[in-house]
Amino acid sequence: MNPDRIRNFSIIAHIDHGKSTLADRLLQITGAVSERELQDQMLDSMDLEREKGVTIKASAVRMLYTASDGETYELNLIDTPGHVDFSYEVSRALKACEGALLVVDATQGIEAQTLANLYKALELDLEIIPVINKIDLLAARPDEVAQEIEDLLGVDALDIPRVSAKEGTNVEQVLEAIVEQIPPPQGDPDAPLQALIFDSHYDPYKGVIAYVRVFHGRIRKRDLLQLMSTGAEVQPIEIGIFSPRMTPVEELAAGDVGYVATGLKSVQECRVGDTITLAANPAPEPLPGFEPMKPMVFAGVYPAEADDYNLLRDALEKLQLNDASLVFQPETSQALGFGFRCGFLGLFHMEIIQERLEREYGLDLVFTAPSVEYQVTLTDGSEIVIDSPAELPEPNHIEEIREPWVQIDIITPTDYIGTVMDLVINRRGEFKNQEYLDARRVQLSYTIPLTEILVDFYNELKARTRGYASLDYHFHEYRPAKMVKLDLLVAGQPVDALSIIVHEDQAYQKGQKLVSKMKKVIPRQQFDVAIQAAIGNRIISRANVKALRKNVLAKCYGGDVTRKRKLLEKQKKGKKRMKMIGSVQVPQEAFMAVLQLDDDK
Amino acid sequence: MPPLAIYIHIPFCQRKCPYCDFNTYAGREGQYDAFVEALAWDIQRTGEAMARPQVRTVFLGGGTPTVLEPHHLERIFATLHAGFDILPDAEITSEANPGTVDAGRFETLRALGVNRLSMGVQSFDDEELRFLGRIHSATEARTAFDMARRAGFENINLDFMFGLPEQSPQVWRRTLNQAIGLRPEHLSLYSLTVEPGTPLAAWVARGQVSQPDPDLAADLYDMAREMLAQADFEHYEISNWARGPLDDDPLPRFAARHNLVYWRNEPYLGFGPGAHGWFQGVRRAVVTDVGEYIRRVEAGEAYWAMEERIDRALEMGETMMLGLRLIRAGVECERFRERFGVDVTDIWPDAIAELRSRGLIEVTPERVRLTPSAILIANEVFAEFLP
Repeated sequence: MNPDRIRNFSIIAHIDHGKSTLADRLLQITGAVSERELQDQMLDSMDLEREKGVTIKASAVRMLYTASDGETYELNLIDTPGHVDFSYEVSRALKACEGALLVVDATQGIEAQTLANLYKALELDLEIIPVINKIDLLAARPDEVAQEIEDLLGVDALDIPRVSAKEGTNVEQVLEAIVEQIPPPQGDPDAPLQALIFDSHYDPYKGVIAYVRVFHGRIRKRDLLQLMSTGAEVQPIEIGIFSPRMTPVEELAAGDVGYVATGLKSVQECRVGDTITLAANPAPEPLPGFEPMKPMVFAGVYPAEADDYNLLRDALEKLQLNDASLVFQPETSQALGFGFRCGFLGLFHMEIIQERLEREYGLDLVFTAPSVEYQVTLTDGSEIVIDSPAELPEPNHIEEIREPWVQIDIITPTDYIGTVMDLVINRRGEFKNQEYLDARRVQLSYTIPLTEILVDFYNELKARTRGYASLDYHFHEYRPAKMVKLDLLVAGQPVDALSIIVHEDQAYQKGQKLVSKMKKVIPRQQFDVAIQAAIGNRIISRANVKALRKNVLAKCYGGDVTRKRKLLEKQKKGKKRMKMIGSVQVPQEAFMAVLQLDDDK
Repeated sequence: MPPLAIYIHIPFCQRKCPYCDFNTYAGREGQYDAFVEALAWDIQRTGEAMARPQVRTVFLGGGTPTVLEPHHLERIFATLHAGFDILPDAEITSEANPGTVDAGRFETLRALGVNRLSMGVQSFDDEELRFLGRIHSATEARTAFDMARRAGFENINLDFMFGLPEQSPQVWRRTLNQAIGLRPEHLSLYSLTVEPGTPLAAWVARGQVSQPDPDLAADLYDMAREMLAQADFEHYEISNWARGPLDDDPLPRFAARHNLVYWRNEPYLGFGPGAHGWFQGVRRAVVTDVGEYIRRVEAGEAYWAMEERIDRALEMGETMMLGLRLIRAGVECERFRERFGVDVTDIWPDAIAELRSRGLIEVTPERVRLTPSAILIANEVFAEFLP
């Protein structure tokens, strides 16, 4: 296809504003999928994505559209993931485009998270086409929303397409706008190859499939390719386009979006953001903006039943095939037995992995409290990196601990500046910058220790701003911090899986909260159970779970033995799920309790 | 096979108590005749199909059997004898609500061969009785007891409830003292349980009534154990006390023989809506709806709401779960061996060792039983023997 007839675009939308419905409608109108093939929300293919209503992985699809000028255009829709943990993937997917649809719900107006992605798109000089969706709803107020968009982007309110993706109303206008307004890709098909990898997935027959956007040069099937970040050479098994199913082609040239089946065995070898070039005639430099993937959050993952260890390992290996940001290595806990230390991009990523392990692989799991990665200088001058409280050396061996800080950008209605400020400052955050985006919205920038936003920060932010704030974060730097290890003892025994690393100033308060939380979570048992929080040898908080006094079914009325037995079986099943710390039964939720410390106010 | 036990469920009450989740209905007087007719048919037909087997205990429960008219009761007993060979020394119990009895009703029961009464007194404190939604006062309960004695009942059980929300220990002590003073042969003490779906559960959920406190219930239970021991009641089952010389026998003379069938996991038949039976390796329950029960009996259809075949392993487990409720008798090793052909200690060596080390059971050549400290947390023990 002549590059002048190619349009590469993505869709920016808030959750539930109808991105997937609009995408489906575009696919249908352009005939990319037949009516019969069109299952709802074609792009969100994972069950979990549909359920959470967000896109976890990006995806791409090519459509052919004959516009009112009589010409046929190739439209490549590149979908973007929809969550804060995946902001890097979003930026790479946007980078592969020349334009973006900004879909706004006619009943809701522009939401903060949409703005965050909109600014990413604007930074990359994308042409923005606003679209007002859901005009079929009774509560729609398209004029107001159009005015809001005009104020924000300076486009004429009257030029904004008003559509109902659900009913198909005016969707043609969107296609025309894409053709008219989004610039065709610029690029020299005869220059050395530069192709951006903006996503990948693992295919059991063809290895890793890299989703690429060719900026310069061309890829032919027989070319020996090179991944510029590692220098690794790849002989493609197949190259092709998404129409929407994978369809082999002979060549991808500058401006095209397609795929390269690399034959590689893991997505770790083929990173999003990397540049593919020709081994024989490499480009002088890669496309800008590559960042190696680095997990930021770590947690122990253990099977509830020790027998499931191998199943868990297999499941993690399978997930890792498609998820370059998931890392894991074996770990052993006295309390929890054999498991894995896993690294995640963020808490949301961790949640997704947890749900997929439980749902798709039927595993019953215990996750320990999440931790960040600390740099530790020992008194002998050596340096170590730890991501688990168990690895933290004794205090007398530590010269200095450094913890990761992130920069966070929060977009919020101005009404909530005070409460957002309060939230961040209470969590050791430092104010950086405040920028008014329009009369009602402001972007607040802070630096803050990563560990402070791990637990319940996003939920709290949402609660304080009635769901109106967005959060974006990226790594900033390591800074020295007075961190200590807080141990939890059950019946006098330290429980390794319950230790956490906390800032010295918060240790006392966290210890108290942890102890009172444990007191609630640990059921009463045959004897009193002492629960203590300690820093080193110093006990800073204690409580007692009083002995169980009464657990007996009184009556077996009229010979109903079955009911009685089922009650007992249920009690027993609950117990089986508990972990034994010495002779004390500790329920699995105890190990995640650290996550809820701030719930009880 | 030992002779059978029979449970007959009368699913009617004058008023439904707010804590009760039994299968019983108020305001169904119009249904009595049809129900009794169906029940009579059911009993007679079943008995005849089994060739009139021997029966050693009968228990007429509910609901409130004494809401029925004398001619209803007569009809039920007539068919019972027609269908079954009720042994001459059989224990025949009827439940009775102190608010629904009079001298005539007691005499009818006596005349029909009922030789044991179980009266739901629940408390001798009028305020507690009101909270429990009972239709009788403390005085009426005492009067009913005297009437029963005068009618010739020499084996009477009284039911009481403890562990009511914020129950006063003094009031409980008074109730127990008055119960002891009446010199009944048998006492059942049940701790109040908040059953889902009951008005009580709704009150607790709305915060109108506080959740019963298990620690308070434990204190009240300990108080009862002590007082009843002083008064020469033998604590022979977790919730049951009886009088009678004990000597070497682990069961008192007035132990409830019908309930012993349950606790020893021996066979029984159940008649009436929602009644349970355990016979030839299968547990069954009858449909709970009264109209449906009547319809199915009249149509000659099967009326089971539940049928569960119990395999040998589960039967052994159930035998433990039930038998361990007997405080002194426990599970008798010889009986167990005779029934299953194996020793208790060979089936669950690990569970038994662990429970012994935790001080929850004691094992002798004769029996396995709970230790005194295990009685109130017996579920911890029972569960070990279940799958």
